[in-house]
Amino acid sequence: MNTIILNGSPKGNSQSCNSKIYAEEFIKNMKNPCEIKCIANTDPKELARYVESFDAIIMILPLYIHAMPGIVMKFIERLERTTTEGKYIGFIIQAGFMETAQEKYVERYFADLAKQLNYNYLGTVSKGEAAGTYMFPKMFKKVLGLVADLGVIYEETHAFDKDIVKKLGKPYELSKSQLRLLKLVHMIGLDNVGWHKFLKQNNAFDKRLDKPFLY
Amino acid sequence: MRTVVIKDCEGIAVPNAIVFDIAQMDVKNCIGCWSCWWKTPGICAFKDLDEFYHQYITADKAIYFSKVTKGFVSGDLKTIFDRMIPLYLPYTTHKTGESMHVPRYDKYPDIEFYYDGEFETDAGRQIFVDYINRVFYQFYSKNVTVKPIAEFMADGGNVA
Ligand SMILES: Cc1cc2nc3c(=O)[nH]c(=O)nc-3n(C[C@H](O)[C@H](O)[C@H](O)COP(=O)(O)O)c2cc1C
Repeated sequence: MNTIILNGSPKGNSQSCNSKIYAEEFIKNMKNPCEIKCIANTDPKELARYVESFDAIIMILPLYIHAMPGIVMKFIERLERTTTEGKYIGFIIQAGFMETAQEKYVERYFADLAKQLNYNYLGTVSKGEAAGTYMFPKMFKKVLGLVADLGVIYEETHAFDKDIVKKLGKPYELSKSQLRLLKLVHMIGLDNVGWHKFLKQNNAFDKRLDKPFLY
Repeated sequence: MRTVVIKDCEGIAVPNAIVFDIAQMDVKNCIGCWSCWWKTPGICAFKDLDEFYHQYITADKAIYFSKVTKGFVSGDLKTIFDRMIPLYLPYTTHKTGESMHVPRYDKYPDIEFYYDGEFETDAGRQIFVDYINRVFYQFYSKNVTVKPIAEFMADGGNVA
């Protein structure tokens, strides 16, 4: 199946773009790697025409406010309902928050969108706690391995492997013991150590709680 | 009571409110640079929404008029949602049992959200309404209503 991968991150081809890493990993071990295009640096109207020549679209994107980034919606606005039967669309979301229940609103929307466009829905794969992928690729070795396997199996079966989707989607919600641990980490102040280091490096630590628009 | 209006559809007028008409604004898309969290806390690298941020965060109520495109908010309005991130702190809290942002300000405006447009199915409408409710829950607005625009008209809303 002739498939195009769309990187939906506003960071596009930047080295700090997690979606780019997941996209490259997805095609890495394919026999015939798919083409990847960035939504960020392509005219949405032209890109919408271009993807019509493919059998399948897989969008790999960050979660922005429980959904797709603004630029991705600007692209979606340009997609037209297809009259060709047998087209497919699927989504791979990676996000900052840990639990993938954060993605449930947009997952429902993507399933509905596929219907609106007369595309068969491949599903939405969600991975939480992914913001650090580009900073600590070694810590994400296992995750990225799963994404590569997802790609290989997709090439063979034209479907997202259910087991891998399940693994990547964990946790769906935070369990009682996870919440207890998070509370403890917060109480002893460990949760923000890394962030505070960032702020200090930028000479912004003292300003971190500012309310600049209350004038 | 101070009201701000965020308008992403035509033919609506709200007297005594500060109006931001998205069609006239050409708002820059969030590029995910995180300046607003790690470099200049609370301040976006782009300056085009500074007046908006001020009016929004000091308002008691924000009224949105949204069109419906492909069963969702428009890309323009989605960009406004994305650009709200500077109004929250760079921390995560789990107090509610889920991951949530931490508020930067003491209060956020109540939300009246009206949508203008048709859905292909009732299920599609529900997806939209649930999404909008979730966004403003995540954004710490206390009272949130999401309704079709006809109800604004029925309540005596003005047509421009
Ligand atoms: C404006 C903005 C909004 C975001 N909203 C969410 C969100 O609602 N939930 C979440 O889990 N992560 C959210 N994130 C975090 C991103 O999904 C995460 O950092 C992701 O790894 C970025 O991917 P990228 O490098 O491909 O752009 C948001 C990030 C930005 C910049």
